[in-house]
Amino acid sequence: MSEGVLPQLVAAFKHVGLNYAFVLDISERQAFAHGLLVTLQLCLLTIPGSLAAGVLLAGLLTSGRPWLAQPARAFVEVTRNTPTLVQLYCAFLVLNMLITQQLQTHGGGNPLTPFVWVVIVVSLHKGVFHAEALRAGIEAVPQVTLEAARSLGFSRRQLLWRVELPLALRFALPSLVNNVVDLVKMTAVASAIAVGDVTYESIMIWTQRDNVLELLLLILLYFGLLTWLVSWAGRWLETRLRMPGYGQ
Amino acid sequence: MASDALLAAPPRTAPGAGLLRALRNPWSLGALAVLALLVFWTSTGSTPAAFVYLWTWTPALLRGLLANIEISVLAVALGTVVGLVVGALSLSPSRALRNATRWYVQAFRNAPILVLIYFTTYVFPFEVHLVSWTFPFPDWIKVVLGLALPTSANVAEIFRGAIQSIPSAQWEASQSLAFRRTQIFRLIVLPQCVRRMLPPWMNLYASITMSTSLASLVGVHDVVDTAQIASNTVARTDFTILVYFTLLALFFAYCYPIARATRALERRHERH
Repeated sequence: MSEGVLPQLVAAFKHVGLNYAFVLDISERQAFAHGLLVTLQLCLLTIPGSLAAGVLLAGLLTSGRPWLAQPARAFVEVTRNTPTLVQLYCAFLVLNMLITQQLQTHGGGNPLTPFVWVVIVVSLHKGVFHAEALRAGIEAVPQVTLEAARSLGFSRRQLLWRVELPLALRFALPSLVNNVVDLVKMTAVASAIAVGDVTYESIMIWTQRDNVLELLLLILLYFGLLTWLVSWAGRWLETRLRMPGYGQ
Repeated sequence: MASDALLAAPPRTAPGAGLLRALRNPWSLGALAVLALLVFWTSTGSTPAAFVYLWTWTPALLRGLLANIEISVLAVALGTVVGLVVGALSLSPSRALRNATRWYVQAFRNAPILVLIYFTTYVFPFEVHLVSWTFPFPDWIKVVLGLALPTSANVAEIFRGAIQSIPSAQWEASQSLAFRRTQIFRLIVLPQCVRRMLPPWMNLYASITMSTSLASLVGVHDVVDTAQIASNTVARTDFTILVYFTLLALFFAYCYPIARATRALERRHERH
């Protein structure tokens, strides 16, 4: 956007009572744009991270070996039934502190930034929900199909990767997309530990300018756009992966 | 035949074995271990300092948790009432009304709850002037409103889904039995809806309870805030670890039974 258009836009919004003067200040505009980028980065890192965690946990849950399934089940239950913010505090304020102390005694710096902790915690948190969706999907795979695959000599691992997961994915896709929408919204907790995401940068701006409503509208629009993109991609995948008789 | 084998009666055992089995479950084993440890510590006077501090902070933490529970109950109560109205409007014959409710539901379901809490906290004034009286508008009420918004949008969706999941053949069948429209709705459709709505509604309650932890970010004295104060006041590494994991345990102790009950309800309804 050129410099000529922005003041006109700001004036137009001022006319309807919305004060967007902060975009004319270069440093504040850059801070806000950086916030938008950080939120996008968080989403782009946590989506694959949570999916990987979900597949791993679903594999453990359906492994049929109690010594793998029971710890996974305990992890799932604890993660589902505790707030993300408290998990983030437990990870960032407790684990991170312990790691820093350990590294300091060995004379090193802590490479784990708040950003990394948000990615880890949110990935694991949503991974649990993905795992439950995938587990339900795996359980929905018809026994006959599995028997047929077993009779063709598939090993346990091949069965999971080549038969169960592809079919489970089709059954689980609607709830996986729902989970990813939730995940995008959940990245806003990053502002609690001062990761410079869009929410945090907005707080910084509105404490200076007292334009809370204006910035909130921008944040909501941005999250609306991101969640719309996710559900659009989800619908595209659903039509792409459609198999008659397996899922919608 | 296969299902008969799966539903085989539990093997008969001696009377004492039932108690033994109950003691073998991981929950009672854990509780016994904790009890034994507490007895050992108090009798030998060797309780670790972190646990002594935790004991003194426990009343404050529980008071904080009560604030969270109050906020969650009020928010869900308010959100449910509004959500039922919005959900009913989303089924109205008027196209404009349907569109308006769809926008409402989309907007508040796709907004991060934290952002909504910031929204209600900073946009509403801290006092309300009504004619000549001034009422304070405390932060915790603003958090209730902030949490009621997403609750109402979700309840509206749950309600709409439940109504639409009732087969339309039931309407026709009951019409043929000479029920009036309001009677069909009240006697046939709604009772089934309540049963279908209960599990997702309980899930929503648990998730809103967990979201009340965000209230600490706008300065409400809830359990998370209390834990932070405790951690900063005592300023000991072992106590900080203990207090944050206690926080996790407190939320788990409140939300896990709700999740278990929800799953039990879902399983019972599967058979109908």
